[in-house]
Amino acid sequence: MDLFETPLPGIGTRYEFTTDHNDHVCVVVRRDGARDIVLFDHDDPDSTRGSVELSPHEAGNLAELLGGTSITARLDELKHQVEGLEIVWVTMPQSGGLTGKTIADGKIRTTTSASVVAVIREEEAFPGPQPDFTFAPGDTVLVIGGSEAVSAASSILTG
Amino acid sequence: MHTAFPLLWSAGGTGDAGHSATILIELGIVLLVLGALGRVAQWWGLPTIPLYLLGGLVMGQGGFIPIDAGEDFIAVGAQIGVVLLLLLLGLEYSPQDLRTGLRSTWKAGLLDLVLNGAPGFALGILLGWSPTASLLLAGVTYISSSGIIARLLDDLGRVGNRETPVILSLLVMEDIVMAVFLPLVAVLLVGASVAEGAIAAAVAIGAVAVAFVVAFRLSAVVSKAVHSRSRELLLLTTLGLTFVVAGFAEAVQVSAAVGAFLLGLTLSGQVADEVRGLLPPLRDVFGGFFFVFFGLQIDPATLVPVFIPALGLAIVTAGTKLATGYSAARTAGVGQAGRWRAGLSLIPRGEFSIVIAGLGVSAGLQENIGPLAAAYVLILAVTGSIAMRLASKIRIARTAP
Repeated sequence: MDLFETPLPGIGTRYEFTTDHNDHVCVVVRRDGARDIVLFDHDDPDSTRGSVELSPHEAGNLAELLGGTSITARLDELKHQVEGLEIVWVTMPQSGGLTGKTIADGKIRTTTSASVVAVIREEEAFPGPQPDFTFAPGDTVLVIGGSEAVSAASSILTG
Repeated sequence: MHTAFPLLWSAGGTGDAGHSATILIELGIVLLVLGALGRVAQWWGLPTIPLYLLGGLVMGQGGFIPIDAGEDFIAVGAQIGVVLLLLLLGLEYSPQDLRTGLRSTWKAGLLDLVLNGAPGFALGILLGWSPTASLLLAGVTYISSSGIIARLLDDLGRVGNRETPVILSLLVMEDIVMAVFLPLVAVLLVGASVAEGAIAAAVAIGAVAVAFVVAFRLSAVVSKAVHSRSRELLLLTTLGLTFVVAGFAEAVQVSAAVGAFLLGLTLSGQVADEVRGLLPPLRDVFGGFFFVFFGLQIDPATLVPVFIPALGLAIVTAGTKLATGYSAARTAGVGQAGRWRAGLSLIPRGEFSIVIAGLGVSAGLQENIGPLAAAYVLILAVTGSIAMRLASKIRIARTAP
């Protein structure tokens, strides 16, 4: 499935794809987490057949229905399946390390090849944080990668 | 003028207590009138801007409801309104949006500038206005209302449409042009000679360019300094910084609005998200004052002689915007229906046309620019929104496959 991505200045990002059954679909990911799903006419990509607006919460629920389950459950499953894959939870220190800095500042992926997959802050989860995500003291950071990469990444995070 | 409020004067008595009572009552009435007009707008599915303008026209000089004591506050409120409008506009865009916008749509943006600026400039010259006043009118006709358009695209469920990225990137281009245009005009308005003007304009544009670069570089630092988990502290710091930046920008002829816009661009990430959630109510109140204040300065009777030129200008520049959007969408590979929708969606003019005309009004440059711009925006904010609604119904007949 080819996914075309277009930035929507001031709103978010627009993704467009065509399914095997020739349905032309567009999903708008808004900055505030809301989603719009638009279905286009079969033979005219400029006319819409209808659109659905989803709040972040509704989008999450829909994602579950579409086959996604909560990240942790899926990761646990992955861990069992893949040899040599390490998953660690790192708690951010009060200061130092990457506390107060962004993911991009730490260059974790380029220097260690490990990835920051999610951040839990108090009761809130930030799955798939963007490079400009800023760590706060006490954040729990989920890092995934090879065992060496993960320990290198934890030391960058905690300083 | 106070005969409209006999009750108020007997209750208010004399002295400071009476004066502050009058100010509060007048401001209250202004806000109530705005609230009522906003309801009418909502009911008819219209943007609020033209109705707020109308509200300003019916109040104050030559209108039904005299506003005297509160006018000073409204004048300051209007200034704050412009600053907040532009701050939030800047916050809407990330530096990345500007870069991709510039790269992908500069050609369409240039066509937009020429096609839509020229009619305004030409009419100014035809009416015997000075080149500076004509240039202001060019700005009024050039800039579409990103406020009205973005809101309507959302309301009409067209955010996902194929032509929408084209519309939005043209709006981004216009906002960038405005960041250069406003300082240029500010310099011209001071009444400098051509040589002085050229130097000062170069300095102003240089300052804006430097500010753009600084804004991108310092983004993380400033955002971090402003950030706070307390909404109260975040609000105070952001507003304080905004006013200081806007004030300094105004002092060096870059214009407060541009200063606020650049600060908005500078703030990014989490801070931008939080401020975007925090400031809109404040912007709505002070933005309301801004439109009212513009209307207050205009005697409704002066709209009559400029109505025909305003209507002519509106018809021509609705056509040129349609052409701009149509051709930009065609270049982007959008089909027939989408091209028409893009063209029709660029027609509404609004807040920024008023901001630009307001510069001319406060400089006392040309007595007709206020009424002409007011009539022009009233016409195109209303018909432009209607055009956008009709555009949603466009279907191009196709032969059966």
